[in-house]
Amino acid sequence: MSDVQLTNIHKSFGITRIVKGVDLHVRSGEFLVMVGPSGCGKTTLLRLISGLESPDIGDVHMGGVRVTDTPPRDRDVAMVFQSYALYPHMTVRENLAFGLELRKLPRKEIQTRVEEAAGQLELAHLLDRKPKQLSGGQRQRVAMGRALVRRPRVFLFDEPLSNLDTALRVQMRGELARLHRKLGATMVYVTHDQVEAMTLATRVAVFNGGKLQQVGSPLELYNAPTNQFVATFLGSPSMNFLAARRESGTLSGPGFSLPCGVDLGEVKDVKVGLRPQDLRVQGDGEFSGTVEAVERLGSDGYAFLQTAAGPLVSRFDRGTNVQVGDNVKVCLLSNALHVFSADGEAAILHPGDERPRVEVPA
Amino acid sequence: MKHRPLYLSALIHAGLSLACAAVLYPVLWVVKLSLSPTEALSLSVNPFPETVTLDHFRTVLLASDSAGRWLFGRQLLASVAVSGATTLVGLSLAVTAAYALSRYRFPGKEGGMQVLLLTQMFPATLMTVPLYSLLEKLHLLGSLGGLVLVYSTASLPFCVWMLKGYFDTVPRELEEAAVMDGASPGQVFWKVVLPLARPALAVTALFSFMTAWNEFILAATLLDDQASFTLPVALQRFVGEYKTEWGKFAAGALIVSAPVMGLFYALQKHLVGGLTAGGVKG
Amino acid sequence: MNAARTGALALLLVAGAAAAAPPLRLWHAYRGAEEAALEQAVKRFTEESGTQVELLALPYDAFASKLASAIPHGVGPDVFLYAHEKLRSFREKGLLARADSRLVAADYLPNALPALQLDGATWGYPLSLKCLALYYDRDRVPSPPATTDEWLLQLEQLSRPEDGQFGLAYEAGDFYFHAPFLFGFGGTLFDGAGHARFTGKPMEDSLAFVLGLHRRGYLPEEASGALVKSLFNAQRVAMVISGPWFAGEISPEMNWGIAPLPSVSSTGLPLAPFLGVEAAFVSSRTQQAEGAQSLAHFLSVGDGAYLRATAGKQVPADTASHRTDAVKRDVFISRFKDAALHAVPMPHDLELQKMWEPMKLALRGLLQGGTTPEAAGALADRRYRALHRPAPPDAPVMPWLWGAAVLGLAAAGWAFSTRSREPFRKRYPEAWRGLAYVAPAAVGVVVLILVPFSVGIGLSLFHHEPSGAYRFVGLSNFTDILQSRGYAITEPLSFYFTLFVTVAWAAINVVLHVGIGLLLALVLKDPLLRLRGLYRVLLILPWAIPNYITALMWKGLFHRQFGAINALLVAVGVEPVSWFTRFSTAFAANVVTNTWLGFPFMMVVSLGALQSIPQDLYEAAEVDGASKWVQFRRITLPLLRPALLPSVILGSVWTFNMFNIIYLVSGGEPGGATDILVSEAYRWAFQRNEQYGFAAAYSVLIFAVLWLYTTATKRLTATEAA
Ligand SMILES: Nc1ncnc2c1ncn2[C@@H]1O[C@H](COP(=O)(O)OP(=O)(O)OP(=O)(O)O)[C@@H](O)[C@H]1O
Ligand SMILES: [Mg+2]
Repeated sequence: MSDVQLTNIHKSFGITRIVKGVDLHVRSGEFLVMVGPSGCGKTTLLRLISGLESPDIGDVHMGGVRVTDTPPRDRDVAMVFQSYALYPHMTVRENLAFGLELRKLPRKEIQTRVEEAAGQLELAHLLDRKPKQLSGGQRQRVAMGRALVRRPRVFLFDEPLSNLDTALRVQMRGELARLHRKLGATMVYVTHDQVEAMTLATRVAVFNGGKLQQVGSPLELYNAPTNQFVATFLGSPSMNFLAARRESGTLSGPGFSLPCGVDLGEVKDVKVGLRPQDLRVQGDGEFSGTVEAVERLGSDGYAFLQTAAGPLVSRFDRGTNVQVGDNVKVCLLSNALHVFSADGEAAILHPGDERPRVEVPA
Repeated sequence: MKHRPLYLSALIHAGLSLACAAVLYPVLWVVKLSLSPTEALSLSVNPFPETVTLDHFRTVLLASDSAGRWLFGRQLLASVAVSGATTLVGLSLAVTAAYALSRYRFPGKEGGMQVLLLTQMFPATLMTVPLYSLLEKLHLLGSLGGLVLVYSTASLPFCVWMLKGYFDTVPRELEEAAVMDGASPGQVFWKVVLPLARPALAVTALFSFMTAWNEFILAATLLDDQASFTLPVALQRFVGEYKTEWGKFAAGALIVSAPVMGLFYALQKHLVGGLTAGGVKG
Repeated sequence: MNAARTGALALLLVAGAAAAAPPLRLWHAYRGAEEAALEQAVKRFTEESGTQVELLALPYDAFASKLASAIPHGVGPDVFLYAHEKLRSFREKGLLARADSRLVAADYLPNALPALQLDGATWGYPLSLKCLALYYDRDRVPSPPATTDEWLLQLEQLSRPEDGQFGLAYEAGDFYFHAPFLFGFGGTLFDGAGHARFTGKPMEDSLAFVLGLHRRGYLPEEASGALVKSLFNAQRVAMVISGPWFAGEISPEMNWGIAPLPSVSSTGLPLAPFLGVEAAFVSSRTQQAEGAQSLAHFLSVGDGAYLRATAGKQVPADTASHRTDAVKRDVFISRFKDAALHAVPMPHDLELQKMWEPMKLALRGLLQGGTTPEAAGALADRRYRALHRPAPPDAPVMPWLWGAAVLGLAAAGWAFSTRSREPFRKRYPEAWRGLAYVAPAAVGVVVLILVPFSVGIGLSLFHHEPSGAYRFVGLSNFTDILQSRGYAITEPLSFYFTLFVTVAWAAINVVLHVGIGLLLALVLKDPLLRLRGLYRVLLILPWAIPNYITALMWKGLFHRQFGAINALLVAVGVEPVSWFTRFSTAFAANVVTNTWLGFPFMMVVSLGALQSIPQDLYEAAEVDGASKWVQFRRITLPLLRPALLPSVILGSVWTFNMFNIIYLVSGGEPGGATDILVSEAYRWAFQRNEQYGFAAAYSVLIFAVLWLYTTATKRLTATEAA
């Protein structure tokens, strides 16, 4: 058992509150990806799990045991630091072996593990260099390797691939996924990269301002974000939001009106969320606006429009000719409407819902 | 690395040679004094001896007391023991204290740093008398151990300040990485922090060593046995009430300074830069 | 003789029975032949009495203070050898036991015992006599002068100062060497009331006579003991005034003689030197009074005295050894014995102790500063008055205790009220580990530095009586210093002048040390520099060699007539400089010496500190197009500051308190102008009748000044950093 349970964690530095009451259960063997804007406390949370920091309030359990006051080395956790933190006075080999030597592993074992990790991370030819003789990406891989050789119960990765080139990143991603399957260890992984989050994660946890916003499988988060923040954060380009007013069965704003088959209750003002992927530039549609910019990804792409209700991003299909300055129409694919409360704090309706998720008063 | 233009190298070497000459000129006089048979000051500008004798060195090196003990040997041993122990004790005290001052928060920390500095401001001459009484109460008189304690505390303020300043430049994440790798606080310190602080350690080691190596007033006052006197005490014996045996003093001074040069030569390879380079991003 | 044998045998038997008795401890500062002779004498004593003796030879510089520390704690020697001039000081500190009935006055030369008598008792066994006489080069002085008139004639013929040839050399700036002239012109040390006396005709005449010797070029300038010796051995002076110790310094090629000093023609009085009597003193705390007395006595008479005379070339104080053939035949000893019989036992009166510094001032002023004899006397008189202030009155202790209590409460209250509301564990999560790491160092510092330090501070509120007692006087020491009694504020010796000099001294030195040290470090850190290791090691030489000798080498380089620096100046066509007669040049000489001594430390520290600057910053700057100079200004300096600042602060503190360089090089010349605050404190403590309280008050003021300085520095750097 190597699950990690965070219960009502609070942490401040001086008078600034950084983590404000986080409850999170990382299941045993799960690959949990943490995302959130810069400075929201992701690194701090990893440090709390690792034991480098201790919470002001709240508890950390691992494998059902309370470890809040256990020092890091007794938690059987490995961490890849955002800043690598390689030992500058040791060679790559020594860096990798350090943790194993401290744990008094047999020399043979250390050697095989180091060589295995070096192979996986393509570091074999660099083993006798010092960190300052490595490139940024190489350093980052050494930092990864140092965690991998340890084979702990829980891995903590703080943006471990951020410095790699695309090809290497894809390769490493694959490597990580394979490793995760093979080792079955619990992994907590911080990243700013959506693709990483979506492809690697068993579940994704979204943080903002020191609070957990939502945790769930990537699809769950994509399809049913609990609030505007999560909805914005996942998906690229991010979801469009337009202020709208509920009028018996329709949600309408300046220049648009969308049918809504579900009774939303008392609420009057809402925000509708429209994923660009669910919009199409077509001959006809609910929205019309002027194209201000075009992003082509091969034949299809995204158009950035200015509409009466505000800016809007929409996808266009291959074969649709969109030019900057065109006046175009955009239509919403069926069953793709997200509705949020006017302040964005709560999701009222997601596609496929029969009833509103929350009752928002008028 | 780029190559320096030739004229610049020449200029640098010329400047350094000049500096060395300025340093060496008075030293040559000491050498001359130690080699000339009359122990006399020379009345010319020429710093090279006219007649050379090794008598002074012989007297200093072969000194023995009435019991036939080879004094120089024993005193050299005592000096090395005292200075070596001072370096060890002083450095271990300073290193631990400086590390705590650099890494932990605790009450009285700022105050303590200040007090360390303040102790250097009171002229030492007036502190010998109370110090003596104190050591007597602690039963540390007449022992090399007592002397070592006094010297190591005397060198503490500088060592602590120097080391703390250096520890502050070692990134904290390196230590945390070691903690995650399973290092105990002691191992973090020994295997990560200390190797990275080598330049500062070299400087403070030399300083502690020198504190003990050249001091004679306290050594003469606190020790009670000819054979356990340190070399500077023996050296100061050449300065009498009415006359000073300059030739022997000079010979002794040169002998005394040789180990310091050796130590510095050994330590200077640790004065290398970029120890923490490549450790952390940014 | 036979009786003595049986007595000794009996003693031996007794000693055999009490073999467990610890050996007698004998402390001395003898060297060379004197030490060897002492060892023989002690061996003889052990043979005869069966009592073991443990000898401890100490450096003279540390001897007196060690005695004063050790004996009261009961860990000192049983017997120690010292000159009688410290008798009163030792006696008042309670270090001495009386000589017992073994001491028979008739055994000793007539003027030996009075020197050891005080308060109606004799306090030691006289060993040997030391006084000044005239050494002369027989090759050039066929017969020694009997009168000053004859002497002057000879000197005129022998001196050719332009060729570096002088008739006479002696340490003319030292009162010990001037005293014979004072006595020869009919002067006395003290006036009718027993106070030191610096004016009057005999004093002026004696000063005028010496000034005449100097003006006419008979004397070399700035004569130190080493210079006198060198000149004599180089046959560049024909006569030397010195004591018995000088004989051992003369090179074997010289053909020399000794004579008593001549008489003054105008008064008919001999130039009578001071007589110093070296004695064996028995410690007041000896556990073996019997053995100690017998050892001290043994050394002073009979075989002990004989051995010291024959093997140690001492002038024994007992009469019997002078009657032995070997001693009688020794011209050296008998001449000095004759001189000693005419000598004036140096008073052990404290009043004499007060004369050295004023007289030195007068003599140096006369010989180097162009002062007239009358003015010189007055100068000395004035210094005497300033230095020997009347003891301050007692102050009541109670108000101080109350004040301390109130302050303590206030501090506690303040500490309590400013305590943060944050819980301790939260505020200091790792406090215990931190405190545990600091604890060993803290204990050491508190016990071995802070305790003596507090005692030192406390002393400043007391007056140290000559008797050794401390009297509480409140702030009088401070008011005396701060009012700069006896001197105008702008004069040397006023606290403010000295403070100014000290600040200038510290500032200039630190700037030079750091500047040169950093420059060299910048050059020497380059790993591509060839011979880097060699340069580095050579350049720390000044730090490695004990500075006692190198400072004196520098003093020699600055000598007016023989120094290499003036030779260099002459070579480039500049007038030679008399370095120590003007403030500016004397100060410069001190600074040059101390810079030479001090830059290696800063170089080493900078070499260490430079290593903490990441190399890629320079690369970044290079890419940005910064010149080397801009890189230094904008990268090296700011980043070096944290690592270098402590060393700079500590360096200035040390320089501020660096008295031995001042002491060894300029010696405070001219007239104390180049003294700094610590050297003043040192003088008050050790050269002006041990006014420890006053010295402590000086130290507290030094402390206060430095405190202000460091706080200011930190404020300054803090605001800059912000
Ligand atoms: N030791 C500290 N003292 C004070 N504030 C801190 C400390 N460590 C982090 N913070 C603050 O806490 C906040 C969260 O920091 P954290 O490093 O956890 O962010 P993050 O989510 O990892 O950001 P990023 O994605 O940029 O790495 C930041 O505002 C940071 O300034
Ligand atoms: Mg982070």
